[in-house]
Amino acid sequence: MMQLKKYLGPLNRNNPITIQILGVCSALAGTAQLKPAVVMCISVAVVCAFSNFVISLLRNTIPPRVRIIVQLLIVATFVILVDQVLQAFFYEISKMLSVFVGLIITNCIIMGRLEAFALANRPLPSAIDGLANGIGYGLVLIIIATVRELLGSGTLWNYRIIPETFYQNGYINNGLMVLPPMALIIIGVIVWIQRSANKELQEEY
Amino acid sequence: MRKFSNTYIFIYITVIVVAVATLLSLAATLLRPYREANIKNETMAQILTAANYIHQDKKEIPHLFSEVATESEVGDIHFFSVNTSDGRLLYVVPVAGKGLWGPIWGYIALSEDLKTVEGAVFSHKSETPGLGGEIAKDAFSSSFKGKSLFDEEGNFISIKVVKTKTDDSRNNEVDALSGATITSRGVEEMLYRCLPEAIKAIQASTIQSQIQQTQTKE
Repeated sequence: MMQLKKYLGPLNRNNPITIQILGVCSALAGTAQLKPAVVMCISVAVVCAFSNFVISLLRNTIPPRVRIIVQLLIVATFVILVDQVLQAFFYEISKMLSVFVGLIITNCIIMGRLEAFALANRPLPSAIDGLANGIGYGLVLIIIATVRELLGSGTLWNYRIIPETFYQNGYINNGLMVLPPMALIIIGVIVWIQRSANKELQEEY
Repeated sequence: MRKFSNTYIFIYITVIVVAVATLLSLAATLLRPYREANIKNETMAQILTAANYIHQDKKEIPHLFSEVATESEVGDIHFFSVNTSDGRLLYVVPVAGKGLWGPIWGYIALSEDLKTVEGAVFSHKSETPGLGGEIAKDAFSSSFKGKSLFDEEGNFISIKVVKTKTDDSRNNEVDALSGATITSRGVEEMLYRCLPEAIKAIQASTIQSQIQQTQTKE
């Protein structure tokens, strides 16, 4: 039970975005619509899980002096593979995400998990830890993207949610929602809600 | 902590790099046909969009393209003759130039008399999202629709991408993108450079086909 709780930490109490405030850049850029956000979330989870697994397998052979280089190599490999697969089979989405797939390499969540977890734990727990962190990151992305797409474009997953009659009666999409700054504000709101629900997350001043 | 010798580190890194490189080149080679098919499909979609076929089903594009468009070649210049849904003939010509960070390109649909722009599509490799990247949006490309390329005396005046429309009496000015001066200039430059060549090529090929037609009649 303790074990399980530790792994589920990233989903709420130890969420990479809202608690550790990591990976915020891609959370701002890729979340104007739900579809690219979900693809981004899957990509990050896959890269995080696999690189955690591989680094954990190699952990006793990696010379500490070059461990960051080895980590970068492994992460970059998985990111390029994911990018290639997206370009081959999900071309539209890969164009929408453009540089941000490549930038998964620099996502602090992944390097952070490699350093903090994979180098000191066995492969299977490491893979689960990577997956849980990827999902924790993805959950926040999906919440942001849902709010932004619904209020910014009136759609979800490109299906119209807000009916035409609303527009005929003067409803207008919130243009600010489509722009990155609004994602930052939504993250702020999520952090606020999460901390007011969990008293122990609040810091003393 | 275990000590690692320099030799060990050197060999270790070499082995990992070689393994990773092999894996990646294998993946790139295996996936290349899919990527190329996607790019080809996108080009066809862009040509059709320039000719005002909008919101086509992605799977329909190759079929539709082969039905309504034919590619011709004069010298180095390619162009496409596209029959529109309302029965007109448009010439779609590719243009290519430089943006701020990398190449930009597009497809311009010209009316049958080659005097008016009937539609345009632009694309880019690495312009800044939200600034220069906006050239790929409808809002920018649709402003080219209906613009004329020649003045009243029949001189080529191209299309000016300007900050403020000063005097649009010749109907050849479109609004530049704010925050993207260099990309906007790039668009203007590539139209100015590529369109006259393309127009000449199309004229040459139509004259040629007319001669052929009269010869076969005789």
